Amino acid sequence: MKEFKQRLSNSFFFSIVPGMLWQILFLCVPLVFILGLSFFDVTDKVVDFTLNYYRLVTNQFHLLVILRSLWVSCLVATICSFIAYPVAYFIAFKVNKRWQGIGLFLLVLPFWINFLLQVYAWCFILERNGVINSILLKIGLISEPLYLMNNMVAVIVVMIQAYLPFMILPIYSGMARFSKRLIEASYDLGASSTYTFWHITLPLTISGIKTGFILILVMTFGEFTIPTLMGGGKKLFVGTLISEYFFTSRSMSQGSAFVCVSGIVLFVAILIINKIFSQISGVVDHEE
Amino acid sequence: MSDIRLVNVCKSFGQEKVLINYNLSVSAGSFFALLGPSGCGKTTILRLLAGFEQVDSGQIFLGNQDITNLPANERSINTVFQNYALFPHLNVFDNVAYSLRIKKLPNELITQKVLKILHTVHLDKQVYKTIDQLSGGQQQRVALARAVINEPDVLLLDEPLAALDLKLRERVLVELIELQQKLKTTFIYITHDQDEALAVADQMAIMNHDGRIEQIGEPGQIYDQPKTAFVAKFVGTTNIIKGACASTYLENIKNVEKSDLLIYLEGVDKNLNLNRDKLILNLSDQELVNRKFSFSLRPEKIVLTKTDEPLIGYDNALQGQVISVIYHGKSTLYRLRVNDGFVLTVFDQNRGQNGFSEASVGDLVYMHWCSTDVILLAD
Repeated sequence: MKEFKQRLSNSFFFSIVPGMLWQILFLCVPLVFILGLSFFDVTDKVVDFTLNYYRLVTNQFHLLVILRSLWVSCLVATICSFIAYPVAYFIAFKVNKRWQGIGLFLLVLPFWINFLLQVYAWCFILERNGVINSILLKIGLISEPLYLMNNMVAVIVVMIQAYLPFMILPIYSGMARFSKRLIEASYDLGASSTYTFWHITLPLTISGIKTGFILILVMTFGEFTIPTLMGGGKKLFVGTLISEYFFTSRSMSQGSAFVCVSGIVLFVAILIINKIFSQISGVVDHEE
Repeated sequence: MSDIRLVNVCKSFGQEKVLINYNLSVSAGSFFALLGPSGCGKTTILRLLAGFEQVDSGQIFLGNQDITNLPANERSINTVFQNYALFPHLNVFDNVAYSLRIKKLPNELITQKVLKILHTVHLDKQVYKTIDQLSGGQQQRVALARAVINEPDVLLLDEPLAALDLKLRERVLVELIELQQKLKTTFIYITHDQDEALAVADQMAIMNHDGRIEQIGEPGQIYDQPKTAFVAKFVGTTNIIKGACASTYLENIKNVEKSDLLIYLEGVDKNLNLNRDKLILNLSDQELVNRKFSFSLRPEKIVLTKTDEPLIGYDNALQGQVISVIYHGKSTLYRLRVNDGFVLTVFDQNRGQNGFSEASVGDLVYMHWCSTDVILLAD
């Protein structure tokens, strides 16, 4: 038995080697480059250590961009969790196996369409002579087309649409593992359905929300496409600013420093959110 | 304390009719075992009683109260689930205190009650442990404590020992019996394991594959006087002896198989008599006339000897040839062939010096049994 376990762990070790090599080569090495670029001046074939780039990216302007991205990401993740939880609950508990499969299929269907196209599709809905404006004009609710695009609201709405599956799927997977017997046991012991939800279902499925929250936070924090297409480039976000540094103004070092600073902020944000979630589930568990 | 009754209950899942006009009555304070093969609908009955499923038609009574449409959380019935269904995010104390907190009892009272019940189930040292720190047996006891702390009228146990190993099962069985005697709560114990059911129950019902009750009674009654072949075979091991009358009535009986034991009627007297090559049965001939029949004869009721000397108290003796021997330590299982197709199984208890010295395959031995141990089964 012990030998078997040993062999299993050996094969496990070898099975993760290709993935590890891939990550080291294409993720860790570029990251080290970024880190190097941000600390060293490589002009004129001399390598000089400098903190100058960090000085340049830690002013109010840059901080504002980071905070804006962080705020939008958190808002999107929060709204997503409120929308996603009932949806996941419905798919996991209220429909039969067959409809569960169909529901999950519909959920991942948007991934079959190019992300850029998905975002462009929103233009047809939100633009001056788009679907919403034409409908509202037709029924006479408005006399002038509304400005629905190129603002924060459009950015947030489209982000929610694009990233909602990343919240629904982890919550659903948590719920699918959650045994319905526990709900029955709770009823059996005299609990109402509300009591059962707050004391059993939610605490045992909240980890799905946490996973989804962090997933969406990380992905939307550096989001480039949606702020560019929907925000009209008026307000800068982390993703747009990075692309500005790397592709437009070509100031690689300053860009790298900004990447590092925003990365650290994101990391700290994740730690705080982690803490908040364990606090919430703790409160839910031991309310009385 | 109130009886629990199911009256004409029907339940189907989709096309599958699980229960048809099901009637069951369990008297208050009894330890009732519902025994049946898997898929016979016994779990459905439990779920109907607990309130997790609704009947299609029929009624469920707890005492005089009709609880058919009462939701699960308003029934004074608690359940010990098969896999315990303990709340994994709560520790032992909070699991057990769950129902008391719903009732909003004062904290001191909750603590007092929880500690008391945990003491009863021998979990004093595990009070603040999390569920995954407990062994299977300990989890089982937490589930038990959680279910009985509210002093329900009825406790439902759904295969509570299924997840435990054999040694532990026996201990938990004893604890269950003691707990039931202490609490005087009605226990309804659902199982497919006949040994468990015989051990715990003071009343038991045997269900067949179609979800119908074949027999209800005390364990001893069920075991020693099974009414049907299904009961005889399902509860314990038995020899089913098929027979047919071999008298003037024989010609009326169709399809007599070669393996069937032929029984000769001696006149119209009340006893059938078959000695050595015949069989003595304690039955009136009226029961046998004009039909085929089957008997149950428990393997442990047969005594083996090497000679054909009659044994006092045993009115039957039949010669057979040993075809297999399985040694179990405390007993030995013999398969003995009387004639083609007529094979009897015999448990010979290991009684040491006074017992039957081991026979080996091919030996001719004599089987003795008492005619009162041969039970006529209903068709």
